[in-house]
Amino acid sequence: MTSQTSFRQRMNMSRWMPILAMIVLIFILGGYTNSKEPSFTSEFNLNGLFVATMPLALAAMGQCSALMVKAFDVSVGAVMTVCVVAASYVLPQSRSWWGLALGILFVIAVALVTGAVNVFLIRVLKLSSIIATLATLSILQGTCLWLREQPAGIINSGFINTALKSVGFMPIAFIVIVGIAIIGDVWIYRTAGGLAARAMGLDEESAKRRGVRVNFLFIRAFFTTAFAAGVGGLFLAAQVGIGDPQIGLSYTLTSIAAAVLGGASLLGGRGSFIGAVVGALFLNVIINVLPFLGWSASYGRIMVGLLTLIALSFYQAPELMKRIRTAIANFRLARAPAAAAVSETA
Amino acid sequence: MTATGSTEIGSTAIADTGGLNMTTDTTDAPSVLSVRGVSKRYGPVKANDDISIEFRAGEIHALLGENGSGKSTLLGIASGTVVPDAGEVEIAGRPLTSASPKAAMDLGLGMAYQTMSEVAGLTVAQNLYLAAPADVRPRWSNMEAWAAARLRDASLDINATAKTESLSMAQRQMLEVVQALLSDPKVLLLDEPTTALGHADVDRLHILIRDLAARGIGIVYVSHRLPEVLDVASRVTVLRDGVNQGSYDAAEMTEADVVALMIGRPLEMAFPESLATPSTDVVLKVSRLRGRRFGPVDLTLNRGEIVGIAGAEGNGQVQFLRALAGVEPSNGSVLCANRKVDLTNPPGPIRAGLVMLSADRKAESVFTALGVRANATLQVLRRFGRFGYVRRKRERQPVEQLVDRLRLKAASIEQPAQYLSGGNQQKVALLRPFLSGNLHVILADEPTQGVDVGARIDIYQALRAKAEEGTAVLVKSSDAIELAGLCDRVVVMSRGQIVDEIPKHELGERRIIAAIIGQASRHGGIIE
Repeated sequence: MTSQTSFRQRMNMSRWMPILAMIVLIFILGGYTNSKEPSFTSEFNLNGLFVATMPLALAAMGQCSALMVKAFDVSVGAVMTVCVVAASYVLPQSRSWWGLALGILFVIAVALVTGAVNVFLIRVLKLSSIIATLATLSILQGTCLWLREQPAGIINSGFINTALKSVGFMPIAFIVIVGIAIIGDVWIYRTAGGLAARAMGLDEESAKRRGVRVNFLFIRAFFTTAFAAGVGGLFLAAQVGIGDPQIGLSYTLTSIAAAVLGGASLLGGRGSFIGAVVGALFLNVIINVLPFLGWSASYGRIMVGLLTLIALSFYQAPELMKRIRTAIANFRLARAPAAAAVSETA
Repeated sequence: MTATGSTEIGSTAIADTGGLNMTTDTTDAPSVLSVRGVSKRYGPVKANDDISIEFRAGEIHALLGENGSGKSTLLGIASGTVVPDAGEVEIAGRPLTSASPKAAMDLGLGMAYQTMSEVAGLTVAQNLYLAAPADVRPRWSNMEAWAAARLRDASLDINATAKTESLSMAQRQMLEVVQALLSDPKVLLLDEPTTALGHADVDRLHILIRDLAARGIGIVYVSHRLPEVLDVASRVTVLRDGVNQGSYDAAEMTEADVVALMIGRPLEMAFPESLATPSTDVVLKVSRLRGRRFGPVDLTLNRGEIVGIAGAEGNGQVQFLRALAGVEPSNGSVLCANRKVDLTNPPGPIRAGLVMLSADRKAESVFTALGVRANATLQVLRRFGRFGYVRRKRERQPVEQLVDRLRLKAASIEQPAQYLSGGNQQKVALLRPFLSGNLHVILADEPTQGVDVGARIDIYQALRAKAEEGTAVLVKSSDAIELAGLCDRVVVMSRGQIVDEIPKHELGERRIIAAIIGQASRHGGIIE
């Protein structure tokens, strides 16, 4: 119980290590690319990198919120697409500022309605979260293609300029996202409400017995996910500027990948919003540097998959180590000559 | 100020009341929990049938009954986790209007669950913080000091910053009680609090609850261990088949009285007679077997013999038994009916005719989602089929016969095992060795753990009947009375080796316990 150990426990290094490691990797990767091709750190490229990161960062934060309560939201990619398509209708070029405000509210409302449907499917009908949200994803995807057969509908340039407004290379919105993520992490790990949410993700039955309002927490988590996906969809709309009915497809996988890279556990009860943001940035840096290094963009997809696997195995490491140790012990026991084993048990 | 004042479960007062028996008259004490006319039905089973009980302040009120008698349902209704079909619950004079654990807690009910409710993955301090009502919660930064103080109050030596999964079962059980006390309850419900505890821990728990009762908290104590209950309780209420059999003064009740109420008839003959002349035909020969935490072990079983394995917990008995079933790694020679047994994986012993009854029924011996029939015939399905197609009718008949023979109580043989009581689940597990055509040895690990008195007798009789057919039975049990009554011979294990063998004519509870304690103290005191 020295102050040093309690400090380490307080900081909980294992929680922050993956985030630190990713930040270090981002700098190494960026530095290496920059030494080959100095235009990587140009204001134009860096701004593009951060603008591209924002939708994924938001989606990953939303996914993290769902994973905290031990559920997946596979529909985030489709929710974002629907929001882009909806934005192409309600945020057209000729709109007054209050018309735009109403349009933004409408887009968010669409996302929240999807969240409500997901909650109904998972909590009321007791469907598995993966299957339920997969169904939602498919329905939304079809709706998008029905509304816009191909990319169409130019999105209001005033909205785009405001959403992507930057100081130097840094979009102001990105700073806000980071700020919200930090507040979210403080909430998870430093408040009673966050403790209750983690407890619910770790063991819902026990948490319920101790007076945690599990249904409320689940609903809140999924509305948070839907809200984050909605806002992410708006930034995605600002980025592409047109109602593309397939733009958000890849966000389902990458949002889970980014959340897991940032420390979220698929078993619930563990995750970090700031980790999700850093994870999103990390994935985007990988995709961003590929052309500078003269590699095909398809490597990016492969890298995302491999990194997800590595991150998942990494968090399973203690369990894996235990299994390997048991296997070795069993093997030794079966092979050992009689005398050796007797001394071992004595 | 409430943060510290209200939740102390004072170690200071223990010295004053700990040694005394509960002779305080509590008949005039106010009611802290009353259930009136409570009924609850699960399908065809009436779990609670018009039950009314008053629990008063300052009394330790034991709630007794076999598994499936409705105790758990009643506790669930009182604590707000189960919605009753009819009846009402009043906690400290105020009605419980909605079935929610939080509402019950707010009215002054503390509940220590049998399947503990701590959240694995959080620390002890975080668990206590989570369980505390808002008005006694300390500041976040003060959480660990506060939790340490609560643990000290209950004289528990647990590190507040430890993760709960690193605690022993006994520590978790005590933590469960501390959690239940955080809300400063008027009435404390303890569901089977001693199943995971050793003697020393039981005594500590009893000192703690006597102290709580002396300070006016009503204790509702559910347990299977009759001697313990009668030792600590001031009143006793017995349930049978969901019906209240009445409340009595504990001082006026003997164990036999309580058992008679629980099973509805006097317990005339608990253990079946053993064979007059044991066979000398060797069926299982274990030589120099060793594995993790045991060995080398030499043991011979004769046909028709029931042999017990005794010992203080954790001396390799379980590992030895599981190694014989091929579940744990081991090395050595085992001959069953003169053929060598392959112990590298479970199918080997099964093929050789060794069948294991695991102590962990739900995880290892019964498929909870499957019905009684499917559980019983799983390993011998081929017998009931033709060209791989199973004839249901041919399958059903032997199962139904056995269900009658073992007095297995199920709505039908298709009822999923998860809805059966512990005793009936164990009988389901027993169906398999009974159906097996090639059976030489039954390996039973705690065959009556979590099994009620009535079903216990049926299980003893079933094992004895199987032995008389020529099967050998090896029983590991922590219950010395059970070993003394059931077995023909008991071997005592310590430090992974057989250190004593008690023959039939010396068998008795005292002799077994003396052997265990003798061994333990010789090696530096495993039992306190």
